[in-house]
Amino acid sequence: MAKSSEPRISKRPIWSGRITIGLVNVPVKLFTMIFDKSISFRFLHKQDGQPLKYERVCIKEDKVVPWEDIVKGYEVAKNEFVIFEKEELKAARPESDQRIRIDKFVDFLSVDPIYLDKSYVLTPDKSEDAYSLLLNALYGMGKAGVGRITLRTKEYPVLVHVYRGALLMTTLRYAYEVADPNKLEELKELKEPDKEQLTMAKKIISDLSGDFNIKEYEDTFKEKVEELIDTKLKGETIVVKKPVKEEAKELMVALQETLKQLKKK
Amino acid sequence: MAGDLTKVELSNLDKILYPQLKITKGQIIEYYIKIAPKMLDLLAQRLLVLTRFPDGIDKEGFYEKDAPMGTPPWVKTMKRFSETANRTINYVVCNDLDTLIWIANLASIEVHMTLGQVDSFEKPDLVFFDIDPEPPASFDNVVEVALLLKEKLESLGLASYVKTSGKKGLHAVLPIIPEYSFRQTREFVHQIGKHIASETPLVVSEFSGTKEPGIIFLDYLQNSHGKTMICPYSLRATPKATVSTPLEWHKIKKGLKPDELNIFTVPKSEKNPWEDLIGNRQKLEVK
Repeated sequence: MAKSSEPRISKRPIWSGRITIGLVNVPVKLFTMIFDKSISFRFLHKQDGQPLKYERVCIKEDKVVPWEDIVKGYEVAKNEFVIFEKEELKAARPESDQRIRIDKFVDFLSVDPIYLDKSYVLTPDKSEDAYSLLLNALYGMGKAGVGRITLRTKEYPVLVHVYRGALLMTTLRYAYEVADPNKLEELKELKEPDKEQLTMAKKIISDLSGDFNIKEYEDTFKEKVEELIDTKLKGETIVVKKPVKEEAKELMVALQETLKQLKKK
Repeated sequence: MAGDLTKVELSNLDKILYPQLKITKGQIIEYYIKIAPKMLDLLAQRLLVLTRFPDGIDKEGFYEKDAPMGTPPWVKTMKRFSETANRTINYVVCNDLDTLIWIANLASIEVHMTLGQVDSFEKPDLVFFDIDPEPPASFDNVVEVALLLKEKLESLGLASYVKTSGKKGLHAVLPIIPEYSFRQTREFVHQIGKHIASETPLVVSEFSGTKEPGIIFLDYLQNSHGKTMICPYSLRATPKATVSTPLEWHKIKKGLKPDELNIFTVPKSEKNPWEDLIGNRQKLEVK
């Protein structure tokens, strides 16, 4: 299995439309650039190794329910639902108007990273000049555009900003999705630190200071599992090595003797 | 080191499973390791039923017919319909040392096996004579009956093998070519039993008579689909940690003390009196 390499951006955009700033339009295409690379497993039937399928089973009848008989319900109280038909939800959804509407520009660094959700790459859609103009202007001023997009059926606040010579669109979390840690009682009662101690703490921090480099961090679980996958593919069995306990020593002597005898056979 | 020698992750080795003799699970595993060269050929390719005593023999054990949860993928299992249990069971099959160690590590003190091999599950290759005394019938009485049985089979041109049950009785086994149904082997044992019963008042061949005191029952019903026999060299869950021990026929005589065949003494014997059993499958024909 190939070592985890850098992901590649697909050739097919997931969305295309235009950035609108007042009366100015910049036609763009949108590509996924964040990939979840965590190891995933599938559930198999232990006896025959076949994948399991999931079925939607009615709790009361214990029977599989066909798609045409399924509606959505919002749980208003425990086991109490308000039912929605497909059409009702469709009518409430915002229409995608193929636009990233920029409302204003802000200093990029003034945006708290806590609100940044998922980033996408924007590329020019036969609009290289306008794209380059926006990119360079934002870069020169350290600014980012704040606005909205409707992706599929959901509206997101977004930030249009510069990253490594490209315009990115990063979706933002709504304010109501982020809790305020300042409301925690434990944090309200924090005391001012002692000045000497603070100086000492600051010294330690500056001694340990360096440049941020995400490549210094590796997903060790993923690497181990990938190694195991390689071993398994080669048909080797996986031996879990554990140190021998004192009481197992004699056992191991017997085991060596028996293995010798069995080999002779 | 353990990982190099066995795939099994051994656990709770110092847990005492035979409280009277203070025998630990580690010692039980050691016994099965030592006995494996003799035992493995005899239980290979058979479906096993384990009797597990996770809390020792004084606490209730349980029969485990299905391979338990967490059975490692390298342990061979096989699904077969058992008429006795009236359902499909995913049996454990033990063809190698690691599986035997794994079984022992489950605190499966007793290992029972089917009378047919997996490729001919419906056609047994062992005919099983369970010679079981009802007190006050003594072990000497059992010996007497076993010798009568051996003679009877010899007179029919059939060579039989014998082992202690590890409890009160003896087991005689006739290896046969797997061409006969359980109904046929059962009927064969039944007929032999009736013959012996007609020759000695010690023996009954019918189930209804077994609760009479001082009687030895030749249990032919054990020769049934899905029924199992305690494996040769299996430990028994008895206070003296006895072993169901294969013996040469000339050792079967009055005064034999089956209790002396146990976890400590049996591994010391060099011989395996059942060594040629599988190679000596016979036709079940009366000559």
